[in-house]
Amino acid sequence: MKGVYDCEIVDRSEVAPGVVRTVFKGPAIAREAQPGQFVNIRVSKTTDPLLRRPFSVHAVYPDEGLFSVLYVLRGRGTALLAEMQSGERVSVVGPLGRPFDLGGSPDARHIIVAGGCGAAPLHFLCDALCRKWGCGGVTVLSGAQRRDAVICEAEFRSHGVDVAVSTDDGSYGYHGLVTQLLEERLRELGLPSADARPEVRVYSCGPNPMLKEIARICRQAGVASCQVSLENFMACGIGVCMGCVQKVRGEHARFKRVCTDGPVFEAEEIVWE
Amino acid sequence: MGIAAPRLAVRIGRIELKNPVTVASGTFGFGQEMADFYDLSRLGAIVVKGTSLEPWPGNDYPRTVETPSGMLNAIGLQNDGVDSFIKEKLPFLRRYDVPVIVNVVGRTIGEYAEVASRLDGVDGVAGLEINVSCPNIREGCLAFGANPSGTAEVVRAVRKRTGLTLITKLSPNVGDIVEIARAAVDAGSDALSLINTLLGTAIDPWTRTFRLANRTGGLSGPAIKPVALRMVWEVAQAVDVPIIGMGGIMNALDAVEFLLAGANAVAVGTANFVNPRAAVEIIDGIAEYLAKMGIADVNEIVGSVS
Repeated sequence: MKGVYDCEIVDRSEVAPGVVRTVFKGPAIAREAQPGQFVNIRVSKTTDPLLRRPFSVHAVYPDEGLFSVLYVLRGRGTALLAEMQSGERVSVVGPLGRPFDLGGSPDARHIIVAGGCGAAPLHFLCDALCRKWGCGGVTVLSGAQRRDAVICEAEFRSHGVDVAVSTDDGSYGYHGLVTQLLEERLRELGLPSADARPEVRVYSCGPNPMLKEIARICRQAGVASCQVSLENFMACGIGVCMGCVQKVRGEHARFKRVCTDGPVFEAEEIVWE
Repeated sequence: MGIAAPRLAVRIGRIELKNPVTVASGTFGFGQEMADFYDLSRLGAIVVKGTSLEPWPGNDYPRTVETPSGMLNAIGLQNDGVDSFIKEKLPFLRRYDVPVIVNVVGRTIGEYAEVASRLDGVDGVAGLEINVSCPNIREGCLAFGANPSGTAEVVRAVRKRTGLTLITKLSPNVGDIVEIARAAVDAGSDALSLINTLLGTAIDPWTRTFRLANRTGGLSGPAIKPVALRMVWEVAQAVDVPIIGMGGIMNALDAVEFLLAGANAVAVGTANFVNPRAAVEIIDGIAEYLAKMGIADVNEIVGSVS
């Protein structure tokens, strides 16, 4: 169950320029984390920075009691974690948050859409979908600004799933946005269709403008489910501070907690800015 | 000489706390999420999130920002209202052997009084904390708590509607906190809690915008501890009612400092975010401190700084 765990770092490697993977020994988290969930890591031993930093779970190895996070160096929190070497012990709270819903019918098509470092949690998801439904029905569309910002491609390919990559500047793969790739794939699958067949389930993580566009595309194509994983600054990460909220639809617009009601939401629920 | 098991029980008004450690309103939700991390019955008391008459949506976001050794928040007291609290949240808390104190907020004096009235006599509610100190909403709260007469008016109105132990939560964003403390006690407050957050702001130099949607927010965390400690000490000199001290408590020795300054109990706030187990670790740490110091009862050290 979720808890505060003292985890040892067992590996730390730079997988691409400015992209680091840290592997922790944490049997409970490795056993129980589900795709889309995150861990809240104390990156400092002092009171500055004070707050933990949330990292989505990138992979789990339950047999070895290991789990990893993969992150782009962006600010103080990621820099501090990246500096930590094998053998250091870190306080980790987790696993936290609402995971992706892996349900659907046996013949459903699953399309994973990654934007930049949004690929990190989707690797775990891809692994779980392959185990549950087989890799045949799983497609990964991964977009980045340029070639060296494409992450996890080899990992996605290692599952044997259908992978397509796009770059904004055309330096690698399809020249354009990953959302265009998605539109193309949905068209190829015959959506929108009168009977909403085939059943297509879309899962995405990335920058908010991309998620908003994916939500629009999925609505127009009539996909069965479009789940998005949101990112937000969090104070507590455990659902008590009400700081990381997102406006959602309802009778009245109201706020839901990204850390606990999310980070995975049905795209239809979100009031996009 | 060490003491094997020091006595930790304290009293706040008519509420018996098995130890002097409670939690600051707004840092613990309504307890449910925290129950994953330890047995809530271990706490001296639980102070739940600010509760209003009708549901409040809260402020727009961003609502929080980290600052050096602290954080600013401008949540805006998002809550589902007192009736929902009684129906949806309280049954869960009743399962635990721990006094529940409800933090009461309002836009008008009438709203404070009505919330108090609805909580009066409800099974599982041990006391009310009157919040006249939240800096993040436009009407009510700090508008009353910023001066002695407004504070007294709210306390008197609530006092008339309930026999529950009343704790008035004081703001540090005032000219003279002692004067306001006295006004609250004279109006019938059984105890005081202090401090609420310090009003502050943060600006992003690159976008030239405020970092909080509300522009200003309340500062909490270790950064405010010296201010909180000074205010607890000043107020303790001036009033005869029990005090719950809070402001930047991260560990047991921080808590002991507040007790020495004159607090009868302490509340753990922002530390709950940093370490969800902070409150229970602080309970154990206070017991260890007393044992090490050869003190048999925690009440012996209250206000004993010299």
